[in-house]
Amino acid sequence: MKWLLALLAAGAALAAPPSCDLVSGWTQHGAARSYAADNLFEYMDGNAEGYLLYGFVNMHGVSCDKSGVTVLIDLSEFADAESAFGMYSANRDLRQPETRLGMGGQIVPRRAIFAKGKYYVEIAVNQEGDHTAALTAWSKALEARTEGTSDPPAALEWFPREGRESLRLVPESVLGIRAIPRGYVGEYAAGKAFVAAQDSPAAAQAVMQKLRARFPNSTPAKVADDAFTATDDYLGRLCIFRKGRVIGGYAKAADSQDPAALAAAVAARLP
Amino acid sequence: MPASRRTFLAAGLALPVAASVDQTPPPQPPKLSARPPSFSYRTLGKTGLKVTTLGFGCMITSDGSVVERAADLGITYFDTARGYQGGNNERMVGAALKKRRKDLVLSTKTEANDKPGAIGQLDTSLKELGTDYVDIWYLHGKTAPAAVTDDLMEALAVAKKSGKARFVGVSTHGGQQELLPWLAKNPNIDVILTSYNFTMQPFMNSVIEDAASAGKGIVAMKVMAGGVRRAGGANRERLSRDGALVAALKWVLRNSNVHTTIPSMTDMDQLDANLRGMSQPFGESDEKLLAMHLEHIAPEYCRMCGQCDGDCRQGLPVADVLRFLTYADGYGQFALGRERYLGLHPSHASARCGDCPGCTIQCPYGVRVAERMARAQEMFA
Repeated sequence: MKWLLALLAAGAALAAPPSCDLVSGWTQHGAARSYAADNLFEYMDGNAEGYLLYGFVNMHGVSCDKSGVTVLIDLSEFADAESAFGMYSANRDLRQPETRLGMGGQIVPRRAIFAKGKYYVEIAVNQEGDHTAALTAWSKALEARTEGTSDPPAALEWFPREGRESLRLVPESVLGIRAIPRGYVGEYAAGKAFVAAQDSPAAAQAVMQKLRARFPNSTPAKVADDAFTATDDYLGRLCIFRKGRVIGGYAKAADSQDPAALAAAVAARLP
Repeated sequence: MPASRRTFLAAGLALPVAASVDQTPPPQPPKLSARPPSFSYRTLGKTGLKVTTLGFGCMITSDGSVVERAADLGITYFDTARGYQGGNNERMVGAALKKRRKDLVLSTKTEANDKPGAIGQLDTSLKELGTDYVDIWYLHGKTAPAAVTDDLMEALAVAKKSGKARFVGVSTHGGQQELLPWLAKNPNIDVILTSYNFTMQPFMNSVIEDAASAGKGIVAMKVMAGGVRRAGGANRERLSRDGALVAALKWVLRNSNVHTTIPSMTDMDQLDANLRGMSQPFGESDEKLLAMHLEHIAPEYCRMCGQCDGDCRQGLPVADVLRFLTYADGYGQFALGRERYLGLHPSHASARCGDCPGCTIQCPYGVRVAERMARAQEMFA
């Protein structure tokens, strides 16, 4: 019975492989492909490491042809929706606008990507040229058949929108600091804001202790539950705070800006 | 009898150490106050570029501050690629290295499969990196001579002639036994970027040595055998904690035919640990750590070396079955493992190892094949 339950649970978690007949007129080119974490390297060499960082589980892919154009479709499953969004956020072209697809998406002339639920979808065209129309059709079709939430992670709302140039989930060592293992980083003209939720307030307090040791020249600041300001050769003028179980802050603050005030603006948006 | 991973590890101790290690700093050393005590430098083949033996693989680095600090501390070789992080990586690296660009060796890669595509990618790379030239431009991820087409070789020649790339090369994650000797003989290839680590097969030493003797610059990647990210759960924690990753780096640096290495680094702690690794010799404790790591992964970890192909009395595709088992046991993907297992030829999917009087397969790496096969049959069939 246990065995059967395990099989059913695992089966339910497995994404249905993409199929060329999702969009009319396309036919399958070659065999469908499947990869797990241990052999993703065979498909994409070193790039696989970028997937593993975000908690990659498996990938199903297929290539489809129509009138001399080949699209490569790969649907990757991640550990959870936040990780799938993280993969998207790290790979979208920051210079190009986003497209309304799932939790977040982007279509550029030869490539479309989006995240929905715990799935990250990539569609690429082999041939040169502007293939926006085909990529849009494929994106819509794949979005419709992909299960999961289209609501972006709540953490995105914690970052002020004004002046924001990018916002992504960093899966390892936020700001290059190992003590902050995972969190969101927003880049602004005035510096970098970050937010990293810990398991509990006690865990967040422990992180703050490590950070104080990392910045021995710190000065206490009045932001949220606990905070300090410091100056670092590489992270510039910064302020780090704790609010409940969340560590947040602002680094590389522009000369004209007060890092504590910038950090306070982030803290004020936290629940 | 093929040499085992353990033999390779032991053989590593006999590699020519420090023969070409030059402790003299390059002509234009970065001005630093916190330089680690013993940076080592080697010359990248006939390019004449003097590089630190520890380079920086920027592929998964999220924060430019780590790259910038590495350059400030004195690392001189930085590697990225057009495709990393959807193109965002080159922009981050370019911004982080802007202050020191002329003092550094900067490489990038193209995954394009034709000349116009490759040249177009190089132009984009230069724009994103904020530089007029790269020091080394690689064709990305080739695994056979046939993949290094005349068209792509022409792209490399055009890039060199135009001054957009000072030197050119090929990167490879597989097929080295055939590809490296071919590249070594190719007069138009300056540098070879290859996977190289303590888990790989013994032939790697000789093909690297031959290529280095032919004057090619040798850059090693995947020096930590996939590092902590490929290892799961408790193994991941253990590897980080006990210093096995730095030991793996030191193992590669022992080989003087490897001129520099490009481990991935995401934070200052990794950077500091690797800097220490560069300045310390590979010792007995490192050998023990790596041997323990091999021992730990050996009974279960199939390296897909193909040496058991055709050895099974029942004709079973042993490596494939072991891989399917890894899906379930190693990654919690029971359904995927079973799906792949049931996709085998029906006579293979229904075979039972218990029907044989004894297993004919002796894995050179110590995988307990009969035990693992029986487990797969019990779980999936």
